[in-house]
Amino acid sequence: MLSVQVLINGILIGGVYGIMALGMSLIWGVLKIVNVAHGAVVMLGAYFGFWTFTLWGWDPFLALPVTLAVFFVLGYALQRFVLNLIVQAQLFLTLLITFGLGVVMENVARLIWSSDLRQVTPNYQGAHLDLAGLTIPYVRLGVFVTAAVLSVLFLLLLERTRLGRAIRATAQDLRAARLIGVPVAHIYAVTFGLGAALAGAAGVLWGTLFPFTPTMGGPLTLKAFAVNVLGGLGTMMGPLMGGVVLGVIESFASTYLGPTYANVFSFGLLVLVLIVRPTGILGRNT
Amino acid sequence: MPITIIVGAAVCVLLAAAPALLSPFLIQFLINFFMLAVLAESWNIIGGFTGYASFGNAGFFGVGAYTTGILLTVGKLPFALALLAGGAVAMAFAALIGTAVLRLKGQYFAIATLGVTETTREIVYNLNITGGGGGLSLPMVRSPLPFFYLMLAVLVAAVLINLWIARSRFGYGLRAIREDEDAAAAMGIPTARYKTLAFALSGGLAGLAGGVFGYWITFLDPGEVFKVSWTIRMIIMAVFGGAGTVLGPLLGSAVLVAIFEGLSTQLETLAELCNGLVVIAVVLFMPQGLIDAIAHRRLSPRKLLQNLRQYRI
Amino acid sequence: MMADAVLFEAKGVTKRFGGLTAVSDVSFALREGEILGLIGPNGSGKTTLVNVLTGATGYSAGNATLNGRALRGLPPHRICGLGIGRTFQVVKPFRSLTVLENVMVGGLFGRDDGGARDVAAARARAAETLALCGLGQHVDSLLAADSLNVPERKRLELARALAMRPRLLFLDEVMAGLNTGEIDEAVTLIKRIRDGGVTLVVIEHVMKAIRSLCDRVVVLYNGAKLTEGPPDQVLHHPDVISAYLGRRYKESKHA
Repeated sequence: MLSVQVLINGILIGGVYGIMALGMSLIWGVLKIVNVAHGAVVMLGAYFGFWTFTLWGWDPFLALPVTLAVFFVLGYALQRFVLNLIVQAQLFLTLLITFGLGVVMENVARLIWSSDLRQVTPNYQGAHLDLAGLTIPYVRLGVFVTAAVLSVLFLLLLERTRLGRAIRATAQDLRAARLIGVPVAHIYAVTFGLGAALAGAAGVLWGTLFPFTPTMGGPLTLKAFAVNVLGGLGTMMGPLMGGVVLGVIESFASTYLGPTYANVFSFGLLVLVLIVRPTGILGRNT
Repeated sequence: MPITIIVGAAVCVLLAAAPALLSPFLIQFLINFFMLAVLAESWNIIGGFTGYASFGNAGFFGVGAYTTGILLTVGKLPFALALLAGGAVAMAFAALIGTAVLRLKGQYFAIATLGVTETTREIVYNLNITGGGGGLSLPMVRSPLPFFYLMLAVLVAAVLINLWIARSRFGYGLRAIREDEDAAAAMGIPTARYKTLAFALSGGLAGLAGGVFGYWITFLDPGEVFKVSWTIRMIIMAVFGGAGTVLGPLLGSAVLVAIFEGLSTQLETLAELCNGLVVIAVVLFMPQGLIDAIAHRRLSPRKLLQNLRQYRI
Repeated sequence: MMADAVLFEAKGVTKRFGGLTAVSDVSFALREGEILGLIGPNGSGKTTLVNVLTGATGYSAGNATLNGRALRGLPPHRICGLGIGRTFQVVKPFRSLTVLENVMVGGLFGRDDGGARDVAAARARAAETLALCGLGQHVDSLLAADSLNVPERKRLELARALAMRPRLLFLDEVMAGLNTGEIDEAVTLIKRIRDGGVTLVVIEHVMKAIRSLCDRVVVLYNGAKLTEGPPDQVLHHPDVISAYLGRRYKESKHA
């Protein structure tokens, strides 16, 4: 029974990893840059949820629409006015500049919120569902369902709307998209905004599950990357699947080996998969 | 060029005589500068000459620091031996990791090296022999002078290795790999072996710096030693000065260490914040580095703005 | 050395990518000092064949030998070390190195014959090679190879390959994009290279060049060898004409 419980815990955590990774994969797929500041944006999202909760008493789940909007604007501006300047440069310069952005975000957070551990604790935090001897906390269930719904909404946005078509056209062929009149600088900014919105939402959800500090961004970037590698880039449901896989692996590692081993496994797995199968476990073989 | 050798030797003699004239604060400052310059030169071998953007050199720094520290305390070895072993283990570790991850390109390589560092940190955190999360205390040495000379010696070694690479057949091979790996292989360059050797040299130098660093600050803690910001500092110093040149990383670390040390006496968070801002500014305005900007007189505001426009969409 | 000794032989070389067979059971032999033309319409597998033979991609079947030494499974640098050089259809200059440095790399590495292994010797040799290839004006220039124009880049590609001191050289469309005068110069240069003792495989769409250069021509079509023989005979072969121009063209001519 314990292992079923561990499995469920892992799956439920996997949802947050999934939308984190979806945001990263969107930016990666369209802009061809790996946003190393992605984890830091998730961190800012967690603090945003913390603020709206402690200052105004907003429920974190109800704060999500505002979070999505705020982080979209933030991401749009960042791409439009800073990253668009460098997006065509060699790869390691784009890695480096997003790294710099991550460092700035982390230290701004430290100045504003200090390095203390914070947590968002709505009053239904301890409540849970008892099901055939299994414990399913409502918060975790809510987080997973929200993450799944957000994933589907974003995929619908990409698949079914005019904007989504413009984004996919840009991802496939920048020059051709420009030629047929797609405003690519704007599309780049929108894409980054969408990625940031997902990261911000992931942060708010994360904040309801675990305590956080300004330094949480780096490891989360790696995990989002790991999820993408696991799920395979360019697949529609890859991030969510990869997120669930990572969540389950971490859950088992921390239950049976100790919580400090969760990261050993997720980072070790990342390296291993990269070496053995760079296209991802679930990805297509090219 | 004998001129460089004469100038270099003169600088070394001056620096060797310097501690007698300097305040303790300045001596500490110089040790710190030497160390970061070693790290920048170390990264330069794999990132600058070979074009593989390693985001994992902090891992080799940490492996060197911990190997030296453990051999010194648990193994009761003399420091000189422990340090050399630290460098050697870091080098071997880099070679081993390199055979696997150097087959990856671009972002995949960068993230894999970052992943290796994080994994190593987590393993060190979970081991007993390393002291785990509690850290590892090393014996105390009162005078900073041994560290001054040791770090200076490691820096001289690092610069000489870079100088050799810049002028040797090996170095031409590395630069060819950086420019176009397929063409390099078709021209007879054993790319896998060369990349691994470059990565091992890079790791070995970072490991030596780590070994001296641990004994100098007398306390090793996985969170501090394997910090990603070590990697970022070495990259930005090399890039700011001019990656793939010998003097660039030296110049870059001199300028940036001066800025950061000045700031960190005020407030560490602020210093880190500026660290991030400098990274952004360098990438935007001076992606080819200071050496190149000076050589091509590209330091005027107009030229800097031109740089800003060259990669925009 | 016997003039007609077999230097290189490809036997049943096959390359599949998933379900697609890019090169199918191709065999041919090369005699010392020969110039072989390798022609065929776009997508017929010429460049893939060169990639397989020089170790850039693996074999699906078959093998090749140089002086009887089997090549399958060797990495590109070992094949280069044995004396097989190549140029790339899409030129691959070392962009931020100078023109001279580009050619020096060829001298410093290339064939394992104990050639110019030290930098000064490689520099001197590279200067000679550049002069031979008509790039003498760039010997002392500090400009990066990136600043060369298209014909100059093609010449640089050739100079780099020559600096490798190959015994067998694959030239992958070195004349594409050149004008008539430049093509004539290239033909002269390639003949001079052969006279220097290098055996050549020339991939080209410029039929005039093929006719004046090649001793023999191999035609590839859909990955397989269509025919082989002296240039004049092969270029008038009805199958070759239809492969290039489509069946309807041939029919209309014969109608």
